[in-house]
Amino acid sequence: MTNAITKPRRWDPIVKLTHWGVVTAVIANAIFTEEGSGWHIWAGYGLAGLLALRLLWGLIGPAEARFTAFPPSPGRAAAHVGEIRRGDLVHRRSHNPLGALMAYAIWATLLVIVASGIAMSGPPPADPAAVKGEQSEEQAAKSDLPSFVLQTLIPPARADEDEGEEAGERAGENESDEWLEEVHEIAVNLLYVLIALHLAGVVFETRRSGREVVGSMIPGGNRRT
Amino acid sequence: MTKTLGQSTQYRDRQTLLVAAVVAVQAVAAVFFVADALGDFAADGMTAHIAIEAVIAFALLAGVFIGAAHVRRLLAEARRREEALAVAKGALADHITARFADWGLTAAESDVALFALKGCDAAEIAALRGAAQGTVRAQLSQVYTKAGVTSQAGLVSLFLDDLL
Repeated sequence: MTNAITKPRRWDPIVKLTHWGVVTAVIANAIFTEEGSGWHIWAGYGLAGLLALRLLWGLIGPAEARFTAFPPSPGRAAAHVGEIRRGDLVHRRSHNPLGALMAYAIWATLLVIVASGIAMSGPPPADPAAVKGEQSEEQAAKSDLPSFVLQTLIPPARADEDEGEEAGERAGENESDEWLEEVHEIAVNLLYVLIALHLAGVVFETRRSGREVVGSMIPGGNRRT
Repeated sequence: MTKTLGQSTQYRDRQTLLVAAVVAVQAVAAVFFVADALGDFAADGMTAHIAIEAVIAFALLAGVFIGAAHVRRLLAEARRREEALAVAKGALADHITARFADWGLTAAESDVALFALKGCDAAEIAALRGAAQGTVRAQLSQVYTKAGVTSQAGLVSLFLDDLL
């Protein structure tokens, strides 16, 4: 007989899909795609869509997925640290207060990454394979060729735009893009730190209170029996 | 009974997952489409092509909202069913305990009667309780006598009758 209070936590499919979709996009853009390349931009837009859905779900989803179930509250987080010190196990339907702070921190960081990324890239390129990344640009730059030769070597971002406009855009954007790039990179590094902390938190909570934390997020985990 | 209930729960879970997956793909597609339409608008200004794109983008966004609301309904329904089932299970368990008490069953007889209700025969009950089959048979006939029935089927139908 399952009791409503002690029933194991299971995240709903939207939470799971958006979580693992974002994980996939982050891994793809951290390891596999070239910075600034068409695929990098596409993965970033995909991440933006999933993040938008999760945030929408925080407003209209079921009770435990809503922001109201896990308000960002340092007070509650401090109380939760007290619980951990005393060794109290409190069963929660949603994030614990520390996990809630982590969720908001990761979302905010992702929003900064997405916003700075879109500001640099503009709309998603029609053909992701046609837009080359930063590394190939740098490699070309190292060859000490004048910029007009570079322009012909590097395929322009959009084939339908004429070259003069493209070259003008590149020269004008360089300065404003530099600080956007800086913001993008700092936020990404912050995201890596947060991911490491998130994983450490999951390991810690699993040791403290069992496998439910992991089971609630994996497909088919914490099945009702 | 447990098996079919579990199967139908699994089926519903899969359906909810499917709808949720479509909503997720739609959300990603909507973001692409809106970004693309905005980019085209910035490049070319208002054209018939962009007007059509805007309508499609709006339809996608509406689909995301309606789909999300649908997923939420499915989840709420599943939860209601689960809770109703838990209440029914709890209520039936309480009811069975109360009836056993009414009949004046001993603790051992109650145990045996519960196994009998779950469909075990005397040999199985004996194995489960680590008792001799003769003992279990004697206890079962005591239970039938106290309940005013003559067989295991009669015992089960008493409770089925209460439920229907």
